[in-house]
Amino acid sequence: MATVIKQTPDGWTIDQDGSALDWKSAEDWQPGEALRLAGDEEPNPEFSSASAIAIDFPAFNDGRGLSLAVLLRTRYQFTGELRACGDVHEDITHYMVRCGFDSMEISDERNPQTALSALFPYSALYQASVTQPEPAYRRVNRGV
Amino acid sequence: MYKYDDFDRTFVAERVAHYRAQTERYLDGKLSEDEFLQLRLRNGLYVQRLAPMLRVAVPYGTLSADQLRMLAHIARRYDRGYGHLSTRQNMQFNWPELAEVPDILEDLASVEMHAIQTSGNCIRNTTTDEFAGAAADEIVDARPYCELIRQWSTNHPEFDWLPRKFKIAVTGAQEDRAAIAVHDIGIQARHDDNGDVVFDFYVGGGLGRTPVIGPLIREGLPVAHLLTYLEAVMRVYNRYGRRDNKYKARIKILVRAMGADGFQSRVDEEWAHIKDSASTVSESEMERLIAAFAPPTFVTLVEEDNLESQRLEHPQFSHWLHHNVVPHKRKGYAIVTLSTKATGVPPGDVSDEQMDAVAGWADAYSFGELRISHEQNFVLPHVPRGKLFELWQAATEADLGTANAGLLTDMICCPGGDYCSLANAKSIPVAEAIQRRFDNYDYVHDLGNLDINISGCMNACGHHHVGHIGILGVDKKGEEFYQISLGGHSGHSSTAAALGQIIGPSFARNEVPDVIARILDVYVDNRHNEESFLHCFQRIGLDPFKERIYGNGN
Ligand code: SF4
Repeated sequence: MATVIKQTPDGWTIDQDGSALDWKSAEDWQPGEALRLAGDEEPNPEFSSASAIAIDFPAFNDGRGLSLAVLLRTRYQFTGELRACGDVHEDITHYMVRCGFDSMEISDERNPQTALSALFPYSALYQASVTQPEPAYRRVNRGV
Repeated sequence: MYKYDDFDRTFVAERVAHYRAQTERYLDGKLSEDEFLQLRLRNGLYVQRLAPMLRVAVPYGTLSADQLRMLAHIARRYDRGYGHLSTRQNMQFNWPELAEVPDILEDLASVEMHAIQTSGNCIRNTTTDEFAGAAADEIVDARPYCELIRQWSTNHPEFDWLPRKFKIAVTGAQEDRAAIAVHDIGIQARHDDNGDVVFDFYVGGGLGRTPVIGPLIREGLPVAHLLTYLEAVMRVYNRYGRRDNKYKARIKILVRAMGADGFQSRVDEEWAHIKDSASTVSESEMERLIAAFAPPTFVTLVEEDNLESQRLEHPQFSHWLHHNVVPHKRKGYAIVTLSTKATGVPPGDVSDEQMDAVAGWADAYSFGELRISHEQNFVLPHVPRGKLFELWQAATEADLGTANAGLLTDMICCPGGDYCSLANAKSIPVAEAIQRRFDNYDYVHDLGNLDINISGCMNACGHHHVGHIGILGVDKKGEEFYQISLGGHSGHSSTAAALGQIIGPSFARNEVPDVIARILDVYVDNRHNEESFLHCFQRIGLDPFKERIYGNGN
């Protein structure tokens, strides 16, 4: 059983029964159900009605799931739980957070506490992202 | 030059701390070899044949005298007293200890430098014209736009895990010294009819196994849209670029598979959604960056008359003026190339003492500013003409005064089999053998502009495809051989870039200087008046060269 870490109103925590959702693949999915997508899936406006969406990372250095997450959040206005699963490495989770994931499945070989402590290594971030929709030059006074 | 503000300083400090913690986890056995590999690559650390290699980013090849002094310090303190100028305007160290790298990064941070994204499958250091801000033929100074791209691409949440490495080059001059046609994205900055800065985008060029000249996919893009358009290109590549085969993972393969038109419409479709998003470049940000690259306080200099008499007295100085000094946009100033290609020294290698000396000259003669060129030389961008003789004397003493910029002996050469674990063959000894064979200045000078580019394997770090003469190390049944191609070049205002044509079967290392000699004989026999090697080749084609080298039977 993998452990899920999740963003809650009180911050990120370990979610004890998080893996209990009944995930459906894109072919079998009906609106309202939990949907599990591969990183190379084409997003679809209907997906925004999913109760939750999981995106699979086949390898931790495969960045396709990051783009898919950005599209679901910014173009298809998906506001429900967006979970990273598969090869979720604690050194990639800080990118995932900024691309809109608010939940991550941490495999048994990895330590969920390490993952929790690795979510926000940076305070100075240059670009716009899902969590910070404006680039630094619109939110920070950069006059020297 | 751009100076860090608190925001940049905070980010780089956080990055060093982050990497230090990752290194400690690796040394504690909490990260596997493979996991750490991906993380260290994004901090410029390779593990090479003999030792780790650290590649320090020199954004768009521009650095200050103080920054170069720090690089000299690093060479002394953590390496064996030298560094290597790379063909992407960066500085590499061949002998650092893995455990000391976080300390090196901290030293670099103290002078506003880092090694972020100098390797790995991410957006690399953006390169540009080494004469930017100084060249007489400049239309737009590309550096503020390079800095904008640097900040946007640094630690990008979505584009740090691409199918393959990604290189962007920008030029704003008439002559393309940044080789934009052979980059993943090449950007030509120019003025539109209203005098506003706009960009032409070439996407999907590149060298390596499958060399391609990048097609033009967007013309006249206004500055405001620079980052959103880049975002659209990157998103299409990140989502659709191949990840199953690393030799087919560069964007050029995707552009070819979709067709330039297909790729362009895909990008346009994506761009339509984000075109006016918050990432639109604000005028105030652009003003801030342009102000950071304001020209130094040039003074009005009276033309120095004694250059002519100095020339007459010192023929070597005269040669140097002819080859290593080019016109500046400002009257009374000149741009100087300090050649690292003295015979017997691996091209691009510089000692800590040389770095200190160059830093001193940058302070004394060039407003504390210098550049690294993709030909692996140092450039002092703003030297008063009246100081040229003094500088030449000092440079000659430090073995950096060779009068060969752009000539046969100014070769581009990758580290090759002496250092690189991917190499098929050594490249440095080939360069040295050629330099020794052609040590007669008058002959080399008479040949005129001639680029010889040497790569130790298909990865083409020595840009052999775009050398007028390209030399590629190949492996033939476990032995080192060299394939030679002719007629490549990376493009000028008057001619589009072209890839070299392979002349025929490859040669053993000791044959290479002779083969080059025969190639040059064909040129000298066939040239019309002042015709360059390249133009002569374009007129007469490959056959006369083939014949002379292999005889009629082949
Ligand atoms: S061209 Fe090949 S041998 Fe030369 S540096 Fe690049 S990878 Fe190494």
